[in-house]
Amino acid sequence: MRRYILRRLLQFVPSLLLITFIVFALMHAVPGDPARMMLGAGESLDEAQLASIRREYSLDKPLPVQYVLWLGRAVSGDLGRSTTTQRKVADEIGLRAVVTFELGLFAWLISAAISIPAGIASAVYRGRAPDIVGTALAVGAVAMPGFWFGIMLILLFGVRLGWLPTQGYIAIATDPLDALRHMLLPALALGITSAALVMRQMRSALLEVLALDYIRTARAKGLAQRAVVLGHALRNAMLPVITVMGLEIGRIFAGAVVIETLFGIPGMGRLMVQAVFQRDFTVVQGGVLVMAIAVLAVNFVTDLLYAVLDPRIRYDA
Amino acid sequence: MTELDRRTLLKGAALGAGSTVLLARHGRAAADKPQYGGKLRVAYQLAPGALDPIVGRSGGDAYYWRQFCDQLVDADSSLKPRPETSLAESWDVSDPKSVTLRLRKGVKFHDGTAFNAEAVKFNIDRLLDPATKATPRAAFTSVESVEAVDEHLVRFRLKRPWGSVLSTLADRGGAMNSPAAVKALGPDYAFRPVSTGPFKVAEFVSGSHVRFVRNETYWGRDGDGNPLPYLDELVMNIVPDPTVQVAALKAGDVDLIYLPVREVGNFLDNPKYNVNTFEGGGVSFLLSYNLAKPPMDNINLRLAIAHAINPEGIIKAVYFGRALPAKGGMWPNGAWAYDPTVPRPSYNLAKARDYMRLGGRPGGFEMDAVMWPSELNTPTAEIVRAQLAAIGIKLNLKVFEVTVATEKFYYGSEAPLFLTSWSRYPEPDWNASLIYRSDGYYNAGKVKDARLDALIDEGAATVDIEKRKPIYRKVDEIVLGEAQMVPMIYGITYAAAPRNVMGLDQVFGWDAKMYLHRMWPRKG
Repeated sequence: MRRYILRRLLQFVPSLLLITFIVFALMHAVPGDPARMMLGAGESLDEAQLASIRREYSLDKPLPVQYVLWLGRAVSGDLGRSTTTQRKVADEIGLRAVVTFELGLFAWLISAAISIPAGIASAVYRGRAPDIVGTALAVGAVAMPGFWFGIMLILLFGVRLGWLPTQGYIAIATDPLDALRHMLLPALALGITSAALVMRQMRSALLEVLALDYIRTARAKGLAQRAVVLGHALRNAMLPVITVMGLEIGRIFAGAVVIETLFGIPGMGRLMVQAVFQRDFTVVQGGVLVMAIAVLAVNFVTDLLYAVLDPRIRYDA
Repeated sequence: MTELDRRTLLKGAALGAGSTVLLARHGRAAADKPQYGGKLRVAYQLAPGALDPIVGRSGGDAYYWRQFCDQLVDADSSLKPRPETSLAESWDVSDPKSVTLRLRKGVKFHDGTAFNAEAVKFNIDRLLDPATKATPRAAFTSVESVEAVDEHLVRFRLKRPWGSVLSTLADRGGAMNSPAAVKALGPDYAFRPVSTGPFKVAEFVSGSHVRFVRNETYWGRDGDGNPLPYLDELVMNIVPDPTVQVAALKAGDVDLIYLPVREVGNFLDNPKYNVNTFEGGGVSFLLSYNLAKPPMDNINLRLAIAHAINPEGIIKAVYFGRALPAKGGMWPNGAWAYDPTVPRPSYNLAKARDYMRLGGRPGGFEMDAVMWPSELNTPTAEIVRAQLAAIGIKLNLKVFEVTVATEKFYYGSEAPLFLTSWSRYPEPDWNASLIYRSDGYYNAGKVKDARLDALIDEGAATVDIEKRKPIYRKVDEIVLGEAQMVPMIYGITYAAAPRNVMGLDQVFGWDAKMYLHRMWPRKG
């Protein structure tokens, strides 16, 4: 197991190098002179300032050299300063990552809380009312664009009923209850699509397991339905669901880009959108690095969870 | 009951021609005595780049720094200098080689240090240093050096006459930063600014909000001599989606927003809210030509296009009637240089067809145009394409994100035509030097026009507004007469607030940005 963990961690290195280099190259392949973009169109006439910017951000050096310089600093923890706000990129990402983590976790929990019971009910009552309603809702939720659903939630719970805030973010440390109130609508908007996908996966995995011989044996022994499903079938059915839920974390973070913008939440998604539009190379590069590490780490943890859930899976071979 | 029966229409007298406020009958803000204290929550679409006014590069910066900065020279809504609200009490611009400013006494930065001539010198020297990468540096190239003559007298030595000096000092470069704070904070000053204005920055949570508190020692007074600002606290929330801004206002989560045009009718009909308008808040739609790129190097074909587009139709279909057909040039109504009597192309299909014939293309032609997508731009471009088809022009729209579109058109010679919008720039030299001069960034074809260069140099060297007016009229006559750049629609900026939020009639400055130090929530 230890060797497996070490091997997987070492595999992170080429993945991260590849991802960061591709993003570095893409940001520089975007049309327009990066120095001019940084300076803003109207002021671009000033060659002295352009020269100063090119020097400061090493834009006067070949692309591979720029990448190696950035990498050298990044390895020592220095991601530079934002070219727009002048804040340290590491500080900025630190603040924003916490927010997105809170939102993502909340959305993921909502997704799990809805999808697993709904998937079980759908499988157990296959072809009957709970299955038909659950499936219809799931198809609707998958088809629904996140931003549209978000606006509908704002109009209903924020404007019409006045129960929840329409936008904004409160840190959990400041006021936990208010923080949850602010986070509920965006987390719901983000979690509902994910719940639909996980629910469908849960349903089909459980149906498959429920058709296996050992379940028939359990039933033949006279075990109650509840004990059969929750005690014997669920654990096996959870394996593919865990995979999907792990992948969903990546999708939730991707969806956070839209939802954070809609609800005015200062998370990583918004930071990245803003940085891309403002050609803030240092922030984009640092953000991608952190997000890539996060996604790789989640996939890694998901793989380890298999072994916990299914004792037959061992990684030492 | 008609709208005007139910409402009282007040002219925003303090701001001059640009601003009109529609107040519900019970919301007579002007008659109420201001109450001190309270908090105002505003929602803005754009996040600030940096809060340091000279380092920030985002169009959204001014919404923020206007709240905590003063100007060396402040201006009214037509951009005429207003010494009573300026950091300089008086100025002498009679010498073409220098500008002398007499500074207000007793003004302090938020950190308690004195605002004086040395501070002005520090600020302008910092701005001129290329290493600062100051956004407004190009606007200060006339300055040779700055000299602190005494504690409250500062002199700018000039390389050449600088006609737009007073307007320029009313913008980014005229906002003063505390030298002590700049030196102490280094690059961190960009998000922890210290200036002289009515509010102090208390908290800047990137991507979320900026919170300001009252500057207890602020020197400014309202018309009755009461100290400003009235508010204890001001929170500017960054809410990128206009639909959510409107929802937040309706839900009572914020107190003031810029209103999207599609919502204006609903809010005017709603007695719970007041709406203020600022006409000429920008050029919402214009035809920007590359004069060197065929077929738009042909004056007749440019005029044909300008005559074939019906702005009234676009205003009706896209702007819900909440915009104005452009009657003048690139300095919109409300600006002192605005002149609606200059002859300019207007919608006339017969004339458009005549110009197509004169241009040698009576059967029409195919042409590319650059544009960037937005709620207003996209349908506008589609209508333009349909309107030009009526005179046989097939327009191929090339869509890019706004920064890329701007760069590609003005620097990359991507297409002969750009369908775009323009911020409100009431100082004619800013636009003339950038767009019409042969070396101007926005002169896409870098076409040299000796007549325009001479007029622009003359305008830039003349300080007296009355003498500058006829110069910029001549500029407009050439530019509009030859369809070099044709504004089609002037925007109207709308702001909405619940009826208990007072001071809405005084909220807009010359740049159509909100200045919030005269606002206050009425209690009870």
